[in-house]
Amino acid sequence: MSSALCPEIPTPGFSFENCKRNATLAAKGFPTPKATKTGTTIVGIIYKDGVILGADTRATEDTTVSDKNCQKIHYLAPNMYCCGAGTAADTEMTTQMISSQLELHRLYTGRVVPVCTANQMLKQYLFRYQGHIGAALVLGGVDSSGPHLFSIYPHGSTDKLPYTTMGSGSLAAMAVFESRWVPNMDEEAGKKLVRDAIAAGIFNDLGSGSNVDLCVIRKDKVDYLRTYDEANKKGIRQASYKYPKGTTAIFPNKTQEYKIEVTEETVTPYTMDTSS
Amino acid sequence: MSILSYNGGAMVAMKGDQCVAIATDKRFGIQAQTISLDFKKVFDMGPHLFVGLPGLATDTQTVMEKLRFRKNLYELKENRKMSPKVFSSMVSNMLYEKRFGPFFVEPIIAGLEPKTFEPYVCNMDLIGCPNEPEDFVVGGTASAQLYGMCEALWVPKLKPDELFETISQALINAFDRDAISGWGATVYIIEKDKVTVRELKTRMD
Amino acid sequence: MMQMHPSSMNMSATDWMDAAHSTGTSIMAAEFDGGVVIGADSRTTTGAYIANRVTDKLTKVTDNIYCCRSGSAADTQAIADIVSYHLNFHSMELGTQPLVETGAAVFREMCYNYRDSLMAGILVAGWDSRKGGQVYSIPIGGMCVRQAVSIGGSGSSYVYGYVDANFKEGMKKEECVDFVTNTLSLAMARDGSSGGVVRLGIITKDGVERRVKLGTELPKFYEG
Repeated sequence: MSSALCPEIPTPGFSFENCKRNATLAAKGFPTPKATKTGTTIVGIIYKDGVILGADTRATEDTTVSDKNCQKIHYLAPNMYCCGAGTAADTEMTTQMISSQLELHRLYTGRVVPVCTANQMLKQYLFRYQGHIGAALVLGGVDSSGPHLFSIYPHGSTDKLPYTTMGSGSLAAMAVFESRWVPNMDEEAGKKLVRDAIAAGIFNDLGSGSNVDLCVIRKDKVDYLRTYDEANKKGIRQASYKYPKGTTAIFPNKTQEYKIEVTEETVTPYTMDTSS
Repeated sequence: MSILSYNGGAMVAMKGDQCVAIATDKRFGIQAQTISLDFKKVFDMGPHLFVGLPGLATDTQTVMEKLRFRKNLYELKENRKMSPKVFSSMVSNMLYEKRFGPFFVEPIIAGLEPKTFEPYVCNMDLIGCPNEPEDFVVGGTASAQLYGMCEALWVPKLKPDELFETISQALINAFDRDAISGWGATVYIIEKDKVTVRELKTRMD
Repeated sequence: MMQMHPSSMNMSATDWMDAAHSTGTSIMAAEFDGGVVIGADSRTTTGAYIANRVTDKLTKVTDNIYCCRSGSAADTQAIADIVSYHLNFHSMELGTQPLVETGAAVFREMCYNYRDSLMAGILVAGWDSRKGGQVYSIPIGGMCVRQAVSIGGSGSSYVYGYVDANFKEGMKKEECVDFVTNTLSLAMARDGSSGGVVRLGIITKDGVERRVKLGTELPKFYEG
């Protein structure tokens, strides 16, 4: 039981304790603010030896770019990665949670988890929340039955496809795929195609921007190519805006300085006695 | 109007060379009416760890207390200090728990990693999506102005005194163009062996 | 039979987040002498954007029962997964293949109990030794009725007359396949939310035969 002095340890799962207050505020003309949306271009293709995923790196809050170089290709399992579009927090948290469940599943079964299992877990989770969890995902991976690519929508529907795009830049990226994708591409051609699809999103969609991230998943090896292509190079600053020391007026008598004692502790591990 | 701009406030954190800074204004208001000029919205959560909670003032205080409780519980259970990265995931998870009824704060975290003393800054949206850039983070009602100031002023490897001038000028010039932020400012410079807190002289209108 | 979500009525290309993923569809199932033929187009839309042009809306439930899905893609996929689980469990307990009638009853149960939150129009078709090839139609409210031939989805309203004029009981297999292909081609030509290829399934006592008719191979009718 909780008291004023000892708060209760929170229970797991979503909490709805602020909902009534927030609804009251909304009724008084203060609507719940929008969370960070990743107006995004994310894509995936199947090629000769596996799957290539691609993503841009822009995160936006309304029209402001809130992150110029964010990661949208999330780790799920050693053989599986997942691109996320939509509400940034939802894609991040959903993939983290499914990743944890997949690892437990892998340990329990002692096998490489099939990609269709991850797909089923994600779609059932999203369907349960009836689209309120705004995660649009491109799931790619390789398992014992070969490469697989799925697109998963916020309402919980999924498609199994050889090439797919999602997010606000999906139309621009799909135009590239529809004209140039062919079965059994080699790796270099595949990477080039995915780069060009993401670049189409970066330059033609306002919600997408900055750099190209790639992730190449093969049977035995994964290459996470963070910043595969810097599509937008920042110019070199022409002048220095450094302020000389003392520019900022302060209240000298109000300045406080706290010394911190830096203690270094070395812990030497010892072997546990497991004989008994 | 957005509930995030009900009380006003501006906040920024920047990385430097072996140091990190977090700066905030001091106003507390109710829409256009200024109530108080020494409102605290940056809190120390450890010797090398600070968190700023711009947004709705009632949630600033509620969230701070919840975070302090969870951090203390962790430190008692684990018998070690919480690192900024761990603290960030804790904040993120706590805010996402309230995904469907959020607190109206957009936290900013600044600190030095234990052992390496690498600078660390992070900000989040109100449902806990973390953002860990290598330069600076901003928050509050003057965030658009702060983005502009910081993009122009910030350069890598600023020494503590240079970082102080940069972050102070970025904050002051940003909130001078925001009607509901300002009225004094506090800057925290966090270094390996000390934290310096300076109060800035600013416009009071 | 087929309805779009209110949010997807706004036919813009940028509403990809809010619009529900709908299989604005043409689906069909018809009994013939010795089995059933099922067919569907392959278009999935989000608003005006074709999210998938090679969709398979003929979903396997058990070895002898398939369903044709129309309505919300998320809802119908979830229903098909759950019914498939129940029927496979049922057939393990039974030791034989489940009856098509039973399959339809499980679908109906789901569609009726959750009728306020679902948007699904489903055709259940299959073959069993008791009644041979059978088609059951379960439209939006969760009603279930056996029909010798049934059509569904947004494209179906254009071809009711064609079906009534051309369907005959006890057709031969290939005759029935041509009838289904023609009907779907006509529906796809008139309905903007239907298109792509025609996917077919022929379920008899020997199992299931799947076929695809590409867009270029479809029969042509008056296009003036």
